[in-house]
Amino acid sequence: MRTKKLLSIFVLVLILSFAYFSYKTALNNFTLSDKNNSYLGGIQFHRAAEGLKESFQIAQKENKPVMMYFWAIWCQYCARFQTDTLGNPQVKKILEEEYVLVAMDLDIDREVAQKYGVSYPPYLVFMDPQGNVLQRVPGAVGPEYLLPIVTQVRDQVRKK
Amino acid sequence: MIPLGDLLLYASLAVSFIALVGLLLKDLKNIEFLNRFATPAILLVAGLLTFAYLLLTYYFVTGNFAFDYVWQYSSSDLPLVYKLSGTWAGQPGTYLLWVWVVFLSAAWLAWSTKHSSALARRTQIITLITGIYLIILTLVQTPFKLIIERPEVVELIAKGSMTSDFVPLDGNGLNALLVNFWMIVHPPFMFIGYATMTIPFAAAIVYLLTKEDGWEELGRQWARFTWLILGMGIAVGGVWAYLVLGWGGFWAWDPVETASFIPWLTLTGFLHAAALHRKDKTTFSIAAPILAAVSFILVLYAAIVVRSGLFNSVHAFGDSSTGTLLILSIVITSIVSIILGMRRYLEEPDKVEEDRGFWNKTNIFYVSLLLFVVLAFISFWGITFPAFIQLTQGLKVGVASDTKNFFNVWSYPFTIILLLALGFCLNYNEKKKEEQKRTLYMVIGLTIITMFARTETFYVLDHSSPFWVREPPFYKLIGNISVISLFPSMIYATWAIIKRSLDYLRIKSLRPKIKGMGIAIVHFGVIFILFGAVISSNFTQKIEGINIPLSAKGERVDIGHGYDIKIIDFTTRSLAGTAAGGLKISEIFASPENYVNNNVKVSGKITDVLNVPTPPSYTTYMQLDDGTGSLWVATQADEVLNIQKGMELTVNGFMMTNFRSNSTGATYDLIIFTKPDQITEAVTSGKYTVQSVELEVYQNDKKIGSGTAEYLESKGGSGTFPLVDSSITGTDVYVIFQGIGGGVIPLTLRIIPAVNFAWIGIVLFAIGIILIMAVRSRPKKSLV
Repeated sequence: MRTKKLLSIFVLVLILSFAYFSYKTALNNFTLSDKNNSYLGGIQFHRAAEGLKESFQIAQKENKPVMMYFWAIWCQYCARFQTDTLGNPQVKKILEEEYVLVAMDLDIDREVAQKYGVSYPPYLVFMDPQGNVLQRVPGAVGPEYLLPIVTQVRDQVRKK
Repeated sequence: MIPLGDLLLYASLAVSFIALVGLLLKDLKNIEFLNRFATPAILLVAGLLTFAYLLLTYYFVTGNFAFDYVWQYSSSDLPLVYKLSGTWAGQPGTYLLWVWVVFLSAAWLAWSTKHSSALARRTQIITLITGIYLIILTLVQTPFKLIIERPEVVELIAKGSMTSDFVPLDGNGLNALLVNFWMIVHPPFMFIGYATMTIPFAAAIVYLLTKEDGWEELGRQWARFTWLILGMGIAVGGVWAYLVLGWGGFWAWDPVETASFIPWLTLTGFLHAAALHRKDKTTFSIAAPILAAVSFILVLYAAIVVRSGLFNSVHAFGDSSTGTLLILSIVITSIVSIILGMRRYLEEPDKVEEDRGFWNKTNIFYVSLLLFVVLAFISFWGITFPAFIQLTQGLKVGVASDTKNFFNVWSYPFTIILLLALGFCLNYNEKKKEEQKRTLYMVIGLTIITMFARTETFYVLDHSSPFWVREPPFYKLIGNISVISLFPSMIYATWAIIKRSLDYLRIKSLRPKIKGMGIAIVHFGVIFILFGAVISSNFTQKIEGINIPLSAKGERVDIGHGYDIKIIDFTTRSLAGTAAGGLKISEIFASPENYVNNNVKVSGKITDVLNVPTPPSYTTYMQLDDGTGSLWVATQADEVLNIQKGMELTVNGFMMTNFRSNSTGATYDLIIFTKPDQITEAVTSGKYTVQSVELEVYQNDKKIGSGTAEYLESKGGSGTFPLVDSSITGTDVYVIFQGIGGGVIPLTLRIIPAVNFAWIGIVLFAIGIILIMAVRSRPKKSLV
């Protein structure tokens, strides 16, 4: 009986410390989005519908294109897409410096997704500051595919 | 007016309530009055619910779209089998299935025991309470809701733009991802498993309450059956994910699949506890019933994970109106179980027994039970705390930079310990204990040494993955362990199972022999599944982002890494075959006399077009092929019609025979004459279009796989049906096709080794537990 009691207590302590540790670790390292921003692939995005109008105002003021990224927490391809493609140093640099970035969570921002005809993640929609769609990139493409598009859309908006 | 289905549910509610009151009166006040009706009442409820389920099925088969649920999950162009499976495609139907099976098991209990013992009666009381609760749940989200009760329809009726007898012409259709054989069987397996968990749970609660003996026996077969069917449900879900979702694996720690795995783990723990408890009633007298109760609570939890909408998952099929009710039920059952467990614990006299030290069978078994609990908790926590953080702080968090890393890192060490315990327990022999301990220490030593083995790949976490660098130090530490360290314990366990099965084979008497073999086979299953999972997930070769131009049809295209792909053909069709309407062309050719000089309608693909000037107009001859045959169609218009090869058209016209055309000089045995306005596009008629690509895969100029990869599109979404070509060696050639776009065929190729081992393991699970169930160890009359 004593052995079992000791074992039970040991396991209880083990479980509780595991729970606490993993909780803290996730909170410190893997926050994906809060009320205002999303943090995907090491990039900070404006969060969704509430910030959409504001994002376009910023885009108009600074004459930058808008990139809307549709993602979902359960999407297996998104995680990889974020680290490999969006997180690619060249792509990331252009996106962070010369774009207004908005992230749409497909579980929350369903209406926006419907409006832009997006039914699955990952999905990118590129727009000029006025909100006209310039390019669509559905699916988890590689950086070598995305880089020319990112550059081309930027130049297109600059010329205007 | 209340629909018939709802009436049946209300009647079930009333009758089961009578039965409950009858049993309670008998139990508490020893009043016989209503008790006499309890058994027939329960049988009646089982009958009523069977009728209700058949009624729902009937509505689906006949396409009665006056019912909202039928409209939502079915449509008239679906094949019959999908109309049947539509009954469990959504939440209201699965609740009905759940409650139906709960009452079938209640009926079994009533029929086989007649509630003659206190245990049977009390178990029935708990079962009835659960059942009544589920009837209420079903009524809240009834599958018999009429479509005119939908808020938007109510609004339209109020405005007068719709009448109150409105019935849609066709249904919304089934989610494209669910249009698949494995999805036909997955939901019923899961919900039948949920339902059959009720009796072991009820018996355990009765035992905790009253120490009624025989509880384990009463629930034993039900618990084993639940283990089997829940396990198969999870496995089938895995097969579906592998074959449909294009995950390239069968397990991805999606919240919902994880949630259904948790009660299965604790139930496994329960079966182990029950095995010892049955031999000595004082052993695990608290652990066993608590594990049964916990398994049931976790079943409810799994239902919440699907329904609440809080857990973001690929299973987003539910909505949330019954979420609160489910949470309430969990809170109640948890509190009851904890209080009862605590009470039993305090009441239990401390057993004065000789201290046999740590190394005895009970203790090692207890370690295994705890390991099942730990593994269950890891899974539970991994899906729960992100939802908790989202709920309380409005933040979305991931559990690790890649979700599966969290579960793999934490489960890995405990899986090894569990294998070690398995090896030790299966071969436990009091006399040879010292020798066995030495062997165990050796295996532990080997395990620790092999943890440090350095190879190019094959670590707990994939070092080449982009997520690797972003994991925190502790995850990296565990992630750095070589998976080779799994093998010493795996070989040790395998050796123990083989030795044990040889012992069983030597037994003369048949019953223990069969049962023993069952036990051995189940444990072999564990080894197979682990081996398949580890090898297939670590040694899969992936080539992503392959784009093959449509023009390269028939040519071999080099895709790198020594692989070539040849596209044989690509086609588009609607799911229901020639759903576009009209006759099959083969039927016309079979008995042309029925159609000549009559109006006929056919649909198909244009395979040839001739435009001939026949002043003052143009005549278009087109050949229509519907897959069963081809037929010429002619029409005249003032200008050249825009009809091209490959178009899918439906044609309505007049059939003629032996027609000789002056303009083309040909004679047509059969031809249809039609007017341009009688030619319509056919593609729109099917809600489901399937794109297929037939292809061959070559490695170093040797063909290694061939078949068809499909991409299904519907209004509701899309589904991929990868090409999976298995070989004898167990290596699958796996090609995902994502639909033709921009003139290219986008493909992903995976070469997945050893995945067959996992499937074999699952089959072994099933065979083993069926053998165990087949042997009723001690048929006792006292219970009945």
